[in-house]
Amino acid sequence: MSPRRSPRSSPRKPHAATPRPRWSAVARTPLGACAGLLLLAVIALAVLAPVLWSGRASVVDTGALQQGPSGAHLLGTDNLGRDILYRVLVATRLSVSLAVAATLLGVSLGLVLGAAPAVLPRRAGRLVTSAVNVTVAFPGLLLALFFAVIFGVGAKGAVLAIGLATAPAFARLTHTLSASVAGRDHVAAARTLGVGRLRLLTRHILPNIAEPLAVNATIGAGASLLAFAGLSFLGLGVQAPDYDWGRLLGEGLDRIDLTPAAALAPCAAVVVTGLAFNLFGEAAAAALGIRTLRHRTTSPRPAPQAPSKGSDRKRESRPVLLVEDLQVALPGPSGWSTPVRRVSFTLWPGEAVGVVGESGAGKSLTAMAVSRLVELPAHVTAHRLEFDGTSLLGPGPRELRALLGTSMAMVFQDPMSSFNPVMSVGRQLAEVAEHHRRLSRRSAFEQAVDQLRAVRVPAPERRARQYPHEFSGGMRQRAMIGMGLMGDPKVIIADEPTTALDVTVQRQVLRLLDTVRTERATAVLLISHDITAVARTCDRVLVMYAGRIVEDLPAAGLLTEARHPYTRALLSAVPDLDTDRNRPLAVIPGRPPQPHRLPPGCAFAPRCPRSDDLCRRKDPRPVTYATGQRVACWHPVEGEPAPKAPPGQGAAEHGGPGPRLERAANGDVEESTGGPTV
Amino acid sequence: MSELVFDGVSVRYGTRRHALTAVDGARLTVPGGQVVGLVGESGSGKSTLARAAVGLAPLSAGRVLVNGTDTRRSRGRRRPVQMIFQDPYSSLNPRMTVAASVAEAFPRERGGSRAARHAEVARLLGQVGLDADLAALLPGQLSGGQRQRVAVARALAARPQVVIADEITSALDVSVQGAVLNLVRDVQRELRLTMLFISHDLAVVRYVSDHIAVMYLGRIVEVGPTEEVLADPRHPYTRELLAAVHGHTAGPRKDAETVTDTEPADPHHPPSGCRFHPRCPEGPAVRAEREVCRTDDPVSDAASRPRRTACHFATATATATALPERGLRDRVRENGNP
Ligand SMILES: Nc1ncnc2c1ncn2[C@@H]1O[C@H](COP(=O)(O)OP(=O)(O)O)[C@@H](O)[C@H]1O
Ligand code: SF4
Ligand code: SF4
Ligand SMILES: [Mg+2]
Repeated sequence: MSPRRSPRSSPRKPHAATPRPRWSAVARTPLGACAGLLLLAVIALAVLAPVLWSGRASVVDTGALQQGPSGAHLLGTDNLGRDILYRVLVATRLSVSLAVAATLLGVSLGLVLGAAPAVLPRRAGRLVTSAVNVTVAFPGLLLALFFAVIFGVGAKGAVLAIGLATAPAFARLTHTLSASVAGRDHVAAARTLGVGRLRLLTRHILPNIAEPLAVNATIGAGASLLAFAGLSFLGLGVQAPDYDWGRLLGEGLDRIDLTPAAALAPCAAVVVTGLAFNLFGEAAAAALGIRTLRHRTTSPRPAPQAPSKGSDRKRESRPVLLVEDLQVALPGPSGWSTPVRRVSFTLWPGEAVGVVGESGAGKSLTAMAVSRLVELPAHVTAHRLEFDGTSLLGPGPRELRALLGTSMAMVFQDPMSSFNPVMSVGRQLAEVAEHHRRLSRRSAFEQAVDQLRAVRVPAPERRARQYPHEFSGGMRQRAMIGMGLMGDPKVIIADEPTTALDVTVQRQVLRLLDTVRTERATAVLLISHDITAVARTCDRVLVMYAGRIVEDLPAAGLLTEARHPYTRALLSAVPDLDTDRNRPLAVIPGRPPQPHRLPPGCAFAPRCPRSDDLCRRKDPRPVTYATGQRVACWHPVEGEPAPKAPPGQGAAEHGGPGPRLERAANGDVEESTGGPTV
Repeated sequence: MSELVFDGVSVRYGTRRHALTAVDGARLTVPGGQVVGLVGESGSGKSTLARAAVGLAPLSAGRVLVNGTDTRRSRGRRRPVQMIFQDPYSSLNPRMTVAASVAEAFPRERGGSRAARHAEVARLLGQVGLDADLAALLPGQLSGGQRQRVAVARALAARPQVVIADEITSALDVSVQGAVLNLVRDVQRELRLTMLFISHDLAVVRYVSDHIAVMYLGRIVEVGPTEEVLADPRHPYTRELLAAVHGHTAGPRKDAETVTDTEPADPHHPPSGCRFHPRCPEGPAVRAEREVCRTDDPVSDAASRPRRTACHFATATATATALPERGLRDRVRENGNP
């Protein structure tokens, strides 16, 4: 199966439902809370320790020179008989404040250097950038040592050295971050308004990169602390009579055989404090969704799995996908919500089923749940969830991957995020064949080239050696489909595969999916908000609203047979080449409800022209007509073609259930959705 | 009412060896108070042309004129051309309130008191159908449709003479798309704005525009009044676009279908002669006798053809393949009611 992606990274992000995570969210993660407390403790110590104990730390006790731990001196004494514990505690202030000072220096300098290219004239900007790029290539500690020698020994010199040494990395970070923000449309919009460069930087760029910078600075402080300890240890940093952890460590190390505590204590202090900075930064990064300087959070692509041995090929007899009462629950600030509610449908071999609905209706989440890609804390339940006759509910993640392996292919809206950017496209396709068919590297690559040709990538031999970014959008999408086909899948689940493409290319991709379906009897589940595209490509259409399938009907009957008012409203909202240009377009008033605030009755009632008291009170259950059409509505529309006027003008006369209505025995969702329809 | 004119505009990106001409000698006039719809596939240069008009893309040749004045002269204070962007999720600064975003667009010379600015923001929000209470919110608290309305309000706040709308509905749901289109149309008519409306959706463009211009690989290949272009498209590429909407292929032959499936040409290495020739279902790939398409550039004498069509056979092919005049609606209706 193709790469997994968390449902959260769905490109058409739902609005308002997810407020931006704030710093307080950091404290709510267990790691963030621990690291935060630790950090607070360190800061408290830095403030208080010198006030409380600096006297005791400097008391020279000639009667107790170089002693080991004892009742009077918990960690022993140094060569002048001073208490080591107190000295370590008191040294907190100097150690931490020097590290922070160095970091501040580094960050400010980095900020100036990194932001300069955005404000300076083009030439000068480039000069700064390349200078930064050159210095970034040097190891930080080496730079620090170099500067330490230049600025001379002493605390001030060390701060300058470490500050200067960290600056390039921050400059680079600032530069990349601001470059990515500068590429956004709001900056372009500000420029067309004539906003000046400086204001552009201060209002539009810096506020949007402040968070990642702060996080990285916190992590940087941990590194500075370590670097400072190193310099002091080497005698290049803090000089007597002042002392920081590095100096204490240096002194303690001379006598490590006699009194190990003297060396271990400052060592532990450095490690714990460094860890506090680091962990807090990382926790914040995780909670705020920020990339840190050290690990880029690119999720590794799972290696494609061999297909399960037991899966035989009695395709025709049973559905590829059987979904009954699928529910997806998600925890939220106001308790659990169920963005996917009692979804049931069947997908037969070689059938193409489209899923339409507004964003947030639960289309993607349904697809993710079916392919078992929904990750914790989301909770997926179903009465039945079967893939080619095998239940997907029982097995653990490993078995699932082996089971679904290459027999379920996923195609996403943005194939760029599904490809590995640093591997040639051909290689990525070949990998599937290597694992799946146990082919040699060479013949796997040949297969990949053949596959690319089959999905109509021009000049496949040459293209196979190119990287994903060298492909156009449409070609990338075809390569993605090709990659899915390497495993000979039984079903292709495509989530908005053509949304980012334009009509002509869109048509090519849809045509390709169609060819694959007819030639290989691969079933297709096509998710799209483009109802016209779906109508053209699919046999059957599932209309989703607020987590439910509200209508399930043959695509050919979409314009004439659609009975659910929502389906009708969707259809009349799309302009076509016959739309009257002198009248306003039909719109659906209001917005879909949020999954955690569903009305008690029909979820569409607040926007529905036909709603009445019953609708607002009771949620309609799906009813199956003789034709196999399923509709969940108390007052379905009958017969007449979809009105082109705004919903409600013309469609509202008829009401009540039609004559062909057959209520199911239990009045509930039916499994009799029928075989492949044409 | 101001007229927007692209006078032989070219935009080149990159340096000599890797140069790419995104827009190549585009000539287009948007008459004052009217809407010209610009269609074409992605990468054909629609957005680049738009960005050139607002100074976001460097012109390597030609001029953009508003009422006869070169837009590069009117740099600085007041910008006569404003743009509304495709993605309402990235076109508003997430750290600025709605009010701040809109107010930032006010022409600089009109200082005004805080209260006056406040009232002006409220008035603009009202104009785009938003509640004045939204002024204090951040974009993160708005829906896609609301954000796009704010973006429209911001463009209007600059009191532009010309507005460019670049794919403003393609990131929105169909249910919201209609509302935003209605708004844009109302505002355009009410303020009699001159507008360049870019979209890849022919049905949407048809609904909004008085004229349609078709772009292919950096060039404008056909321009004309909306009804005329749609009823009788002259350029084979325009016919392809229409066919995509109708769900049919224009060419009657199977090989024509394969031809149109060919990837769009690489803009770094545009094809010789007619740039559409490798994909043209009526060109040399299908009709061997049309060698001229490979050798001669039809753009050079486009002005002499009806609707400035950049095709050697603009008049000849118009009748060769009658376009199936059927929409999805008809097709599905047929299937549904035998
Ligand atoms: N990982 C997640 N965490 C929280 N909410 C989610 C997550 N994924 C989806 N949702 C919510 O579930 C609902 C359905 O989303 P989605 O499946 O993406 O809809 P669609 O694909 O139809 O646009 C939305 O309200 C969305 O906010
Ligand atoms: S049940 Fe009532 S409110 Fe819901 S869609 Fe049907 S008519 Fe409208
Ligand atoms: S000039 Fe030839 S190749 Fe170009 S569009 Fe016309 S017929 Fe097609
Ligand atoms: Mg989705």
